[in-house]
Amino acid sequence: MLSQTVVNRLKEIVGEKNVVTDKVGLLTYGYDGTLLSGEALGVVSPHTTEEVVEIVKLMNEHNIKLVPRGAGTNESGGTIPTQDSVVISFTKMTKIHEIDTENFVAVVEPGVINFDLQVELEKRNCYFPPDPSSYKASTIGGNVGECSGGPKCFKYGVTRDYILGLEVVLPNGKVIQTGGRNFQSEPAYDLTRIIVGAEGTLGLVTKVFVRIIPLPRAKKTMLAIYDKVEDASQTVADIVAAGIIPTTLELMDNLLINTTEDFSHAGLPRDAGAVLIIEVDGYPEDMDPQVKTISEICNKIAKEFKIAQSAAEVDQIWTSRRCAFGSVARVRPSYGVNDITVPRSNFPKAIQGVLKVAKEYGVTIGVVAHAGDGNLHPLVLFDQRNKEEVETVHAAEKALCMMALDLDGTVSGEHGIGLVKKKYLDSEFTPAAMGAFRKIKRSFDPSNRFNPGKVFEL
Amino acid sequence: MSNVNISKLKAIVGDNNVIDSPSEMAKYLKGKGKPAVVVLPGNTSEVSSIVKLANEQNVKIAVGGTVAGTKGLNGGIAMVMSRMNRILEMDHLNLVAHVEPGLLHKEFLLKVGEAGLNFPPEPYEVETSSIGGCFAIGDSDSKSFEYGPTRTFLLGFEMVLPTGEILEIGNKCIKNVSGLDFIHFAVGSQGTFGIFTKLLVKLLPVQEAKRAVIGTFTSIHKANATFNTLIKRNVQPTRMNLLNASLAKNAISGTEGQLVIIDLQGFKESGKNIANEIAAVLTLGGGTDVKIIEDEAEYDQVINGWLKVRAELNGKPEQTLEFLVGPAKMPQALTQLEALTGDLGAYPGVVVEGLLGYVCLALPEGTDKLALAAKVNKLAMSLGGNIKGLLGHKLKAEAYNDAEMWQQTIGLLQELRQQFDPKGILSPGVSLEA
Repeated sequence: MLSQTVVNRLKEIVGEKNVVTDKVGLLTYGYDGTLLSGEALGVVSPHTTEEVVEIVKLMNEHNIKLVPRGAGTNESGGTIPTQDSVVISFTKMTKIHEIDTENFVAVVEPGVINFDLQVELEKRNCYFPPDPSSYKASTIGGNVGECSGGPKCFKYGVTRDYILGLEVVLPNGKVIQTGGRNFQSEPAYDLTRIIVGAEGTLGLVTKVFVRIIPLPRAKKTMLAIYDKVEDASQTVADIVAAGIIPTTLELMDNLLINTTEDFSHAGLPRDAGAVLIIEVDGYPEDMDPQVKTISEICNKIAKEFKIAQSAAEVDQIWTSRRCAFGSVARVRPSYGVNDITVPRSNFPKAIQGVLKVAKEYGVTIGVVAHAGDGNLHPLVLFDQRNKEEVETVHAAEKALCMMALDLDGTVSGEHGIGLVKKKYLDSEFTPAAMGAFRKIKRSFDPSNRFNPGKVFEL
Repeated sequence: MSNVNISKLKAIVGDNNVIDSPSEMAKYLKGKGKPAVVVLPGNTSEVSSIVKLANEQNVKIAVGGTVAGTKGLNGGIAMVMSRMNRILEMDHLNLVAHVEPGLLHKEFLLKVGEAGLNFPPEPYEVETSSIGGCFAIGDSDSKSFEYGPTRTFLLGFEMVLPTGEILEIGNKCIKNVSGLDFIHFAVGSQGTFGIFTKLLVKLLPVQEAKRAVIGTFTSIHKANATFNTLIKRNVQPTRMNLLNASLAKNAISGTEGQLVIIDLQGFKESGKNIANEIAAVLTLGGGTDVKIIEDEAEYDQVINGWLKVRAELNGKPEQTLEFLVGPAKMPQALTQLEALTGDLGAYPGVVVEGLLGYVCLALPEGTDKLALAAKVNKLAMSLGGNIKGLLGHKLKAEAYNDAEMWQQTIGLLQELRQQFDPKGILSPGVSLEA
């Protein structure tokens, strides 16, 4: 419980309405995209950097820890309140300070929703490439915290590649600026890079300088349908070998084809083993040769291959992919989503590994994957109300993570570690690497006040 | 007096790989410091043993690929990585290579090219730069708009920490957010967090088509104005660079005036049209001798000329001043700059990397660099930029009148360094002050 003094002081800082301490209110801030939950001592929503500073100082005086939160869509438990913390919610910091297309930079507050930024940018013929599938809800601050990926990473990279600078409130309440409005403003060490993906454990981001780029002049969307998942993997390898870097190589397996078809009626054949959505972009003149090469590759092994001829057809292809996660609710009420990633060459083995885990643990697993990145989203289906089944699912998820590590991969390609995958970190990293993480955390936050217990224990 | 125990070093790396006669040491060293010894390790475990020995005897170590800097290294160990120069693996399926740090950057580019692949970062110095050095410096270059800065190309590494402990991190996945991002944080740390002993490098498919468009201009402002036209026309080539008259003739001998070099990599079918569009913009903008280069040998000659000039400037950081502005704000920047420097065409050196909004000035002898930097930073800040790097950060904090921010930043940098290197063994020449 927060003392009345602290509550009153918080209300003075951010205004009466922006402090939540009632049981029901707290409950709504206790969840994220995982099955975990927790209860905060309070929730406070600042509007400005100055208010964030005041909050941090106040919390330090009373030795209370802070858990940062955007939209709470993350899949790793990163925003779950733990250790008697106050949640600092950035959803009131939603200003887009500046969009400067000629200088390829935008300046935004952390609570800006990715989609809202994209809409503004699109009006100016620009975009911000990182667009995780949660982009209609997730915030830029959250994307920075988790270093989010999305379907365009094969060509365009992840969030860290598009953050030029940050304004950060440190755990001691002081404000620094990392980087700037270009590639070359880091002060000796690349502080921006270490804060991106640190899940709020090193500092609270209050302003983000993002790199924006012009929209591609042309884009081609293709769909290939396969009898077997292995054939789709072969296409991915062949496209890379042909020297083409598509923006997107999205794969869905048979289970997902059927669940999305129930919902979207996009006309995918229900007996197919896998579909692959392939997209290339660039100058119009460069599209046809690439499409030609890709169609030759696909036609060798795919049972069907088509090139979208209109915007409507592009939409139709993407509808299935976009509704993939939600669609599995028709099979079972809950799903656990994973983001294991393996080297591209091990992708077929990872698919086999998923099937093996499903069989061994007797669970249903559907697969959506960013195949070009070797990034898989096995969706483990279950019913949350069945305690025994939940245990089995946890065991299966652990087996998936270990399988990825055995294939020289990582337990997290784009969702982050948070609480969910913390227990696997010692399997992925050597003691020396874990030691390096702790040295970095200690340099920023020696008292372990920001998002304590996330990613690793100090 | 030095504490370096030469016989122990010889026991670690073998007699032939320890050099302590000053005349033989010279070719491995740069700068005025006087290290006691040059040592050439052959593998990771030797590097680790040397670092442990240095810790026991409280001796400093500076590391270089072919040449080590000696600043602050009196009585210390200069470690040169040139024996650790193998390509351990070239993996076409995953588009990655595993290399040792002493491999020359130019060698690597050659091997990568032969394998039909592409490693975009420009060599810092054409002849002597190593891959270890490339990531230890971790800069951006004029191709970064298209490919991203150097750090983009590191997926993992093995490193000997300042305590001698060996750290391995990373994998062949192009997406990896597990743990804290020490992989990219180490890029640019200039050997203060540790010594790279292996690097896992990301590659790209080779760019099949390469073209350049060059042109000369009597006025630097007119030359630069063409960049704005291209940005407004939504043309983003691979490089969009400008050398003033003093530097232009070093890049392509016989060049009169300011030289514009525009590089187009990978625009396979579209390249012809884009090159024509660029050539038209340069000609209309007042360029003469505007030329589209498609011949491979001639293309290489132009790019190598560019790299040579760039490397010369990289080699003398104390005599250069680098700043950035918003790319589209460059015309104002150059006009305002001229009020401080006089005619930029005749200045000892001006480089503009137009896509990045970057300028490098080669300063006339006797210039008070810090005084000029303060003025240039003010100018740059009003145009959406600042002086590059740590100095820029300090000047920015001064401009905000925010001494606290500067103190916090410096304090944080020093704490990080101290955490990794409590005894202050590694890279004594690297200062975190500005």
